[in-house]
Amino acid sequence: MENKINITIDGVPILANEGANLINVAKENGIFIPSLCYFDHIEPPLGTCRVCTCKINGKYQPACTERVTEGMVIEINTGELNDLRKALVEMMFAEGNHICPACEKSGNCDLQHMGYELGIASVRFPHLFKDRIIDYKPRRMILEHNRCIKCMRCVMDIKTKDGRKVFTYQDRGNNTYVGIDYEQEAILTEEEIINAMNICTTGAIIVRGKNVTMPFGQRKYDTNSVQQHYNEKKRMPNTSQVMEKKIVATCSLAGCFGCHMSMLDIDTDLLDMVELISFDKSPITDIKKFTHRCHIGIIEGGCCNDENIETLRLFRENCDILVALGECAIWGGVPSMRNTIPLSECLEEAYLNSVTNEPGNTVVPYHEDLPKILNRVYACNEIVKIDYFIPGCPPDGNHIWKAIKNLLWNEAFNVLYSEFKYD
Amino acid sequence: MSRKITIDPVTRVEGHGRVTIHLDDYGQVKESFFHIVEFRGFERFIQGHPYWEAPVFVQRLCGICPVSHHLAAAKAIDQIAGIDPKDLSPTAQKLRRLMHYGQVFQSHALHYFYLASPDLLFGLDAPADKRNIIAVANEHRDLAIKGITMRRFGQEIIKAVAGKRIHGILAVPGGVHKTITEAERDYFLDGTNIENIDTMITWTKEVIDFMKSYHEKNKKMLDEFAYFPSGHLGMVNDKGELDLYDGKLRAKDHEGNIILNDIPADLYQDYFSEAVANWSYMKFPYLKTIGRDKGWNRVGPIARLNICDSLSTPLAEKERQFYFDFYGNKMNNSTMYSHWARLIEMLHCAETLKMLLHDPDLLTGELVRHGTPRNKGIGIIEAPRGTLTHHYEVDDKGMITHCNLIVSTTHNNDAMNEAVKWVAQHVISRQGSITDSMLNQVEVAIRAYDPCLSCATQALGSMSLVVELYNHQEILIDVRTKN
Repeated sequence: MENKINITIDGVPILANEGANLINVAKENGIFIPSLCYFDHIEPPLGTCRVCTCKINGKYQPACTERVTEGMVIEINTGELNDLRKALVEMMFAEGNHICPACEKSGNCDLQHMGYELGIASVRFPHLFKDRIIDYKPRRMILEHNRCIKCMRCVMDIKTKDGRKVFTYQDRGNNTYVGIDYEQEAILTEEEIINAMNICTTGAIIVRGKNVTMPFGQRKYDTNSVQQHYNEKKRMPNTSQVMEKKIVATCSLAGCFGCHMSMLDIDTDLLDMVELISFDKSPITDIKKFTHRCHIGIIEGGCCNDENIETLRLFRENCDILVALGECAIWGGVPSMRNTIPLSECLEEAYLNSVTNEPGNTVVPYHEDLPKILNRVYACNEIVKIDYFIPGCPPDGNHIWKAIKNLLWNEAFNVLYSEFKYD
Repeated sequence: MSRKITIDPVTRVEGHGRVTIHLDDYGQVKESFFHIVEFRGFERFIQGHPYWEAPVFVQRLCGICPVSHHLAAAKAIDQIAGIDPKDLSPTAQKLRRLMHYGQVFQSHALHYFYLASPDLLFGLDAPADKRNIIAVANEHRDLAIKGITMRRFGQEIIKAVAGKRIHGILAVPGGVHKTITEAERDYFLDGTNIENIDTMITWTKEVIDFMKSYHEKNKKMLDEFAYFPSGHLGMVNDKGELDLYDGKLRAKDHEGNIILNDIPADLYQDYFSEAVANWSYMKFPYLKTIGRDKGWNRVGPIARLNICDSLSTPLAEKERQFYFDFYGNKMNNSTMYSHWARLIEMLHCAETLKMLLHDPDLLTGELVRHGTPRNKGIGIIEAPRGTLTHHYEVDDKGMITHCNLIVSTTHNNDAMNEAVKWVAQHVISRQGSITDSMLNQVEVAIRAYDPCLSCATQALGSMSLVVELYNHQEILIDVRTKN
């Protein structure tokens, strides 16, 4: 019989088994502590990611490495701690090259899941865009170092039959990366290989031939939040009922028009929407210059040339509220994959080296009527202040219009977990 | 005084572009350019990534026809996984076809109803604030609802097979990763939740009838507006019927002589070359055998109906024959017929969808096949806007070492420039003042090609219409944007 003790979580007295793991105690009592590296059967817990940081007896400690003791006072759900956790997860997104729209782990990724649970729509830190390698040498897997967050799960948990480690940390500090012992990898069983992929918190370990096997809707983190009250938490207050007609402007910078298409995907509800709003400058109208001050400007795509920057500034000047719509506008998205590559190489590949190019061609487009391409793709909020972010590639049509209605008329809305996605 | 006219941005097209027209001292057009102002560099940054990721992220080239990019890339990586397009399992083939025809249906509906219909309904000289889908919704509500519902039908087909309307995933190397359920299929057939496939066919026929009467009323204008001779390129199956998913490449010149005789997709680089101009980020593909000046081809609906022998579905084939008779049974080189041709293709898609939806293979069967890995894959597909080529080369470990994309709109680069030139010379040249209607006509000519400039620039750049007027010393003296 375990020894029962008394602890306090966010002011609520709770009876728990002495020495139990704090994350598990909280979970048994219906309290969610966000956690990333923590994995039930790795003992002792890793404590590497710090996402589960709580205030324990007044000190900041990760919950996963904490055993409960008599009289322990724990703070979990405070504004400060939630913001700290968000900042930690945002740092991981900024540090690696996490391109959910292009990643086969999307939907089954723990890092992405934490972003959803914490409601991270944009990252407050600048993305580093470090040029990392993809290791193709292992026989049955590839190691995608762009996506590794160094959580240590694979290092501690993946071992061969005779107990040898397969993964290990190499180098130090900022330069730390996870190395792989190719010989040991070769003797892992099929099951152990799959386990390595599944245990990886991101898409850093990918097994050949086992990719995108799960359709949308059936993936691990597609539909339901682990938090019972996710939707209530995200509920916006309703302060006004008067629906005055509003003016909207939209534009696509370095985007693919998918976000614009998603706006159209509310189908015939669009007809009700156009009763309430009128469009000013937008690619779906023939209005090419601002004719009115706009209540809201919706930006799709990041900035890849000087003209994008001018257009974005023009929108900032002419719109009361500016919304970054979709991953490209929020942080650069798929086009920002060129940020780790010199621009000259991109141009040379397209105009000089392509197999169908005319042999001996030396022309790379450069003309007074062509915008100049920037050294890298910039997120919209690197150029101007952005007031609201709607993530997704593309964002869900319902999510877009709910958010717009809230911004324009303070209409109450819930962001459903299933509508808040990065892919 | 000579002037340069700029139209920027070109609107109601998918992407970013700009037109400049240079006039001499007498207001006569010296030259005109349709600039594509965006460049994203996919061909370079995909290098180093594993090949199986290609269909997932290359579709981010374009949010309007992501399915085409997804499937063209999928056909290429099938070959890298050792499976030729024709060797896919019947289930995989049919699901992919369902997705593709659904996509062409929705994309054509988008273009016709959302982007082009204001020009057709309100005329080329309607005021700018009227030329948009919202005005159509206000004044022709039934038509707007039909348009929206038809686009929704295509989008829902895509969602059923790919999980999402935009940027969904169906294809994996050598096949697909899911089938559809009976309930998902019946959703499109029984008409209880959404208008069913038969309604789609009926409505498409109605719009075609509208288009026929529009052409009868305006025949002279539509025949002449932006008419120019060119080659035409598309894909046909072994019977010479139009095939949008898989087949051989065929091209005919402006008189109907065959200039590219049913070559298999993987030989494309023996026949095609791409020129680069310093004033556009979009390249200019042409047939090597004919040369840069005359070897370029139109692609898309007009071209496809020009090069195929027939359509495989009865109602659409009847409409194709009528369309051909109407134009005098010759190769169609008139830009404005593309809207009509697009609708005939929509009907063909709807009929094909109906056939596929009744096929039991969609519900069950073998999903993925495996073969001996190869180092090269070339996938060619007829995207809504024309022939789309994806070419990947990989090393023995599966890393992409080379990628070449020739996007549909790129083939139309010369055609759109030719169309702009026509309007410049026939409408703008030697006119005292430049009116909004003249500028809209430039855009109407471009819009007929339904250019998808976000694809065409493979993502470093942007499309919009400004007309700038330059004098003979090339000094900018006037900028006219629309309105």
